[in-house]
Amino acid sequence: MDLTDKEYVQRCQDGHPEDFRLLVHRYQGPLFSYLTGRLGNRSQAEEAAQESFVRAFQSLKKLRKPESFYSWLLGIAGRVALEQFRSLKRRQQDREVAETMMADAGDNQPEYLLDETIALLPETYRQVILLRYYEGLSCPEVAQRLDMPLGTVTKTLSRAYALLRQELQVSGSVDRTINQMEHP
Amino acid sequence: MNCAECRDDLVACIEGLLGDEESLQCQAHIETCAACRAEYAAIANLQQKLVAHGQVAADVSIVEPVMRRVLHKQTEQKRNTIMSKLFTRWGLGLSAAGAAAIILIVVLALPRTQATAAEVMAKGAQAVAKLTSIHLSGRVRTGPAENFGYPNPESDFVTIEFWKQFEPDLKWRVEKPGRVAVMDGQSTVLYIKPTNMGMKVPHPSRSAFDTDWLHKIANLSNTISNELNNAQAKGWKMGITEETAATGRVKSVVTIEAESDLPDSDYLKNKQFDYSDTRRVYRFDAQTKMLEAVQIYLTRDSGDVLIFEVDQIDYNQPIDPAVFRLELPANVSWYQEPQKLTDNEKYAAMTAQQAARALFEACGREDWTEAAKFFPMPVPEGLKQFLGGCQLVSLGEPFTSQGAGPSDQFVPYEIRLKNGELHKLNIHLRKDKQTGRWIWEGGI
Repeated sequence: MDLTDKEYVQRCQDGHPEDFRLLVHRYQGPLFSYLTGRLGNRSQAEEAAQESFVRAFQSLKKLRKPESFYSWLLGIAGRVALEQFRSLKRRQQDREVAETMMADAGDNQPEYLLDETIALLPETYRQVILLRYYEGLSCPEVAQRLDMPLGTVTKTLSRAYALLRQELQVSGSVDRTINQMEHP
Repeated sequence: MNCAECRDDLVACIEGLLGDEESLQCQAHIETCAACRAEYAAIANLQQKLVAHGQVAADVSIVEPVMRRVLHKQTEQKRNTIMSKLFTRWGLGLSAAGAAAIILIVVLALPRTQATAAEVMAKGAQAVAKLTSIHLSGRVRTGPAENFGYPNPESDFVTIEFWKQFEPDLKWRVEKPGRVAVMDGQSTVLYIKPTNMGMKVPHPSRSAFDTDWLHKIANLSNTISNELNNAQAKGWKMGITEETAATGRVKSVVTIEAESDLPDSDYLKNKQFDYSDTRRVYRFDAQTKMLEAVQIYLTRDSGDVLIFEVDQIDYNQPIDPAVFRLELPANVSWYQEPQKLTDNEKYAAMTAQQAARALFEACGREDWTEAAKFFPMPVPEGLKQFLGGCQLVSLGEPFTSQGAGPSDQFVPYEIRLKNGELHKLNIHLRKDKQTGRWIWEGGI
């Protein structure tokens, strides 16, 4: 069975850097999705995702709450994305790309809020969401992976959806979408 | 079924995990209850978003590059710690005079070597500061007709030549056995020999067709200066030795160990080696101070791999005007801007992997009308002969290349050719802005 984020982080902090691989594997998908939303560009997002993981590894010893690894990682990624914007703006030859990226990122802003909200979920709920949507497992496969009954998986998903919607409603993005669906 | 029971089963219902009877009951309740219908719609909407986010990330695989960088930094930190401990131990274990002497030797010896290497580099840059022309000849690991910007440590060597005339007017030519690019002062042309394909830019370009890194190198004075600046700024290890050639001439050999995360000004930046260490060896003539040869090695645990070498450099020699004239066959397939198709949407909706599959399958059926939808030109005869009747064996996960545009994807593939041979490479597809279709760029 997979270890928790806290356990992996502690193993890395205790001198097992190879275990960082498992954290990269766990969060590469959602981090990439988040950065694609921020940067509007897959190539830049991939570069930023790599840089974010490397910086996270270098600062891992400073992480006080290992159970909050992912939300901490998103904070780093946000700063990396900002640096990329600034760097691109500085480079004359890439001005057009930067403008496109800024425009795209503006359009996509509500999208990356979902990734930020996932990061805030308690780990039990986040784990099920990540396996279901970012690793593409079916509910029975999630149940098998986490060694839990199928009913618990659907209940966990149900609770995770409720938490996500509750958080997203603060920003109004889900409400707007539902309103559009109900009153086209 | 009441509302509470319906809400309990809603996720299982959406996931298709309920039995037939329970599913019917749940759906019947949703049809009659506005509140549960709204709840259903909200969850389905959230699910759609989650699926879309998951799909965005489906192709990404950065575990290995991240771990290479992470472990590299880890090793670097350990090395620094060992050095620091070593000095501490010397300081504690020896007499004060002994420790001072050793440290003095280290401090004096190391900068002395670095200063000498730096001096040779600086004088080398100065010696080639004003060139009227240059001709570089060497070899690189890559496919004979592969993109100029795609050196690949897994490939065999092919020869490569580069001519550049700075005065009286700028002209250049880069050539490998299967690919040549020429700028004759009026226009810039790329010709791919095995497939008989060409692309023409109707104006002179300072650099084109992914030859930028070769242009950087050919601008030798800047290259050497940049290399020296980067080595000093980044603290890359520099070394110098001397050797005597068979002619009796003495050569100064400067070695620079460049570490990953290359600076933007580095000529190997974005050439697949950003996350690898490289060792660059520069041979200067000790008397003229001019650069005579360059070797680039990829540093690997299993042993360094030579990936690029310039073994002959001719300075300021008049270049035969014929070098800048490209004689081409009459039936060259010239690149054209892709046009929208009547069923364009179908192709615009494809992922890079789906487009690669459709392209190879069309070639397998020898359906050249279909295959042409993925080419920026009529399918060249050379490609028809090569790909006709092929069988797709496998497709890998698409990836992007650092420095390539956002719409460029490389899809690893393996096909079995009509003659039974297996052919394995990465097809380069570019998302065309006008049509939204994935169009072939290279990699066959």
